[in-house]
Amino acid sequence: MTARHRRIYLSCFVSHFLLILLAATQDLVSILSEGENIFPPAFVRVWRQADIITSTALGNRLPDANPVRQVLTAYLHDAGIESGYGFFAPNVPNSYKLVFEVRYRDGRIEYELPEVAGSAAGIRVVALLDNIESMRYELLRRTTLKMLSFAIWREHPDATAIRAVFGRVTQPPIEGFLQGKQETYEFTSAYEFSFPSPGERQTAP
Amino acid sequence: MKDRLETRAWAFLFQPETDRWLSILRIGLGLQLALYCLTLRPDWLALYAGDGSGLISRDLAEAILDLRSFFIPRLGWLVVSGSLVHLSEGTVLYLVWACLLGASVCLIAGLFCRPAAIVAWFLYLAAAKSGNLFSYGVDNFTVIGLFYLMIAPLPDRWALDWKRSPRSSALPARLGFHLRVLQIHLCVIYFFGGISKATGGSWWNGTSIWRALSGPPFDLVPLHLLISLRVLLPLAGVLVCLLETGYPIFIWWRKTRTLWFCSVIGMHLAIGITMGLYLFSLVMIILNLAAFGPSLRWRGRQGGVRPDPEGAAIVFDQSPADRHSNPA
Repeated sequence: MTARHRRIYLSCFVSHFLLILLAATQDLVSILSEGENIFPPAFVRVWRQADIITSTALGNRLPDANPVRQVLTAYLHDAGIESGYGFFAPNVPNSYKLVFEVRYRDGRIEYELPEVAGSAAGIRVVALLDNIESMRYELLRRTTLKMLSFAIWREHPDATAIRAVFGRVTQPPIEGFLQGKQETYEFTSAYEFSFPSPGERQTAP
Repeated sequence: MKDRLETRAWAFLFQPETDRWLSILRIGLGLQLALYCLTLRPDWLALYAGDGSGLISRDLAEAILDLRSFFIPRLGWLVVSGSLVHLSEGTVLYLVWACLLGASVCLIAGLFCRPAAIVAWFLYLAAAKSGNLFSYGVDNFTVIGLFYLMIAPLPDRWALDWKRSPRSSALPARLGFHLRVLQIHLCVIYFFGGISKATGGSWWNGTSIWRALSGPPFDLVPLHLLISLRVLLPLAGVLVCLLETGYPIFIWWRKTRTLWFCSVIGMHLAIGITMGLYLFSLVMIILNLAAFGPSLRWRGRQGGVRPDPEGAAIVFDQSPADRHSNPA
C-alpha cells in the first residue's frame, strides 16, 4: 500500500468519522435540549445552540433542493449513520396504544388493534406507534392514522366509520406496582374516518 | 514529536490484520439477513405495499424520504422499474424478498461475495427506508454492517469464492484499516449510547430497567420475578451506563478487553432474551464479534505468525492494544 493510497484512505476515514460524530452529537444534544435529564434547566439553551450548530454542519439548514444537502443526506442514510445512538435515553419512554372503534350502521361498535402475523413485524408496529407519537406535523399524523384505519376497514367493509384512538400507556413504578397499582391508559388524540358504504367504489386513502 | 505521533497514527490505522474478522462479519450478517427475511415473510406485503393493501402505504414513507434526499435508495424505484416489464407491485416486492434471501445465502456461503454484499446492502437499505415509519435500531446497525462489508476487501479465505479461485490475499494493512473503521465506529456507538443514558436520572435508580422490562410488548420476564430481583435493578442500570460509556477505553486495554467484550455480549444476550429484541441483539453481537472477537486472548492461546498460502507471512493474534494501549 503506497503512501498516496494511505492518504486517500485517511481522508475518507476523517470525513466519515466527522459525519458520524456530528450525527451522534446532534442526537445527544437534541435529547438533552428536551430537558428531563440530570443537568440544570439553564443548560437547555446551551444544548439548543449546540443542536443548531451540529444541524447546520450536517447541512440540515440548507434549502431542501440544495445539491450539497441532497448528497450529504444520501450518504448519511446509505452508510446508516444518519441518526445517533440514544436508544432508551435519557429515560425509557412510555409505550403507546392504538385502538380502533369500528362503528356500524345499526349502532354496533367493535374494537380492533393493528394486526400483523409475526412477532418481528409486531416490534415494527410498536416502532410505528412511537413514530406516530413523535409526529409534529398534524396532517402527516392524520394521514398515517387514516391509512391504518383503512387497513382495518378492509376487514370490516360493512362499517360506516372508524375512530382511531391513540393513547399513552404508563407503567406504575415498582413501588406502585407493589401497592397494587396497574398500568394506566391516557387518551392523547382521536380521529374519526368514514369510508364508502358497500357497493360504492373502494379506494385507498 | 509530530513525526512520532504521525508514525503511531499510521501504525494504528494500518496495522496488518488477518481476514478472520471479515469472515465473521460476512457470515454473521448473512445469517442476520436470512432471519430478517424469514421472520418478516408473512408480513412483507403488509409492511411494504404501496397500493393500499398494506398497513400504511409505502408511498407515504417514500414521500417523507423525498423531503430528505432524492438519492436515498427505496423500493419505489424497483416497483417502477418492474412496471416497465409489466411486473405487478406484489411480484416485485416478493422478488426483492427472494433476492435478499438469496444474497444472504450467498454471504453465508461466501459465493459471489462482492455482488452479494452490494445487493444485500442496496435491498436492505431500500426496504428499511421505504418502511422508515416501521424502522427501529436494528435497521441502522444492519445497514452500518452491510455498508462496511460492501466496501471491505472481499473475499476472505473462508469464502467459497476463495476456494473456487484462490488469489493473492488482500493486503493485511488494508484489512487492518477496514477493521479499525468498524472498531472505532462501535466505540462511538457505545460511548454516545452510554452518555445519553447516563444523563437520565432513571438509569441510576433502576427505574429505566424496570420500565424497559415491564412495558408491553417487551414484558417477557414475569413481573413477580422482576420484583423479587428489584434490589439488583439499580445496579443493572448503572452497569449498562458504565459498560457503554467505558467501552471506548476498556475494550482497547488488554487487561480489561475480554471482560468488557464478554459483558457487552452478555448485555445483548440479556436484551434479546428478556425483551424479545432478537434481531437487534444478534446484529450487535455480530458487530462486536467481528470487531474485537479475533483479537481476544484466551488462556492457552498464543500470538504468532503463520504462513499464508501465497507464501507471505501474516501476523495473527497480535492485537493493536498490545502495542497501543489507547487509540488516541
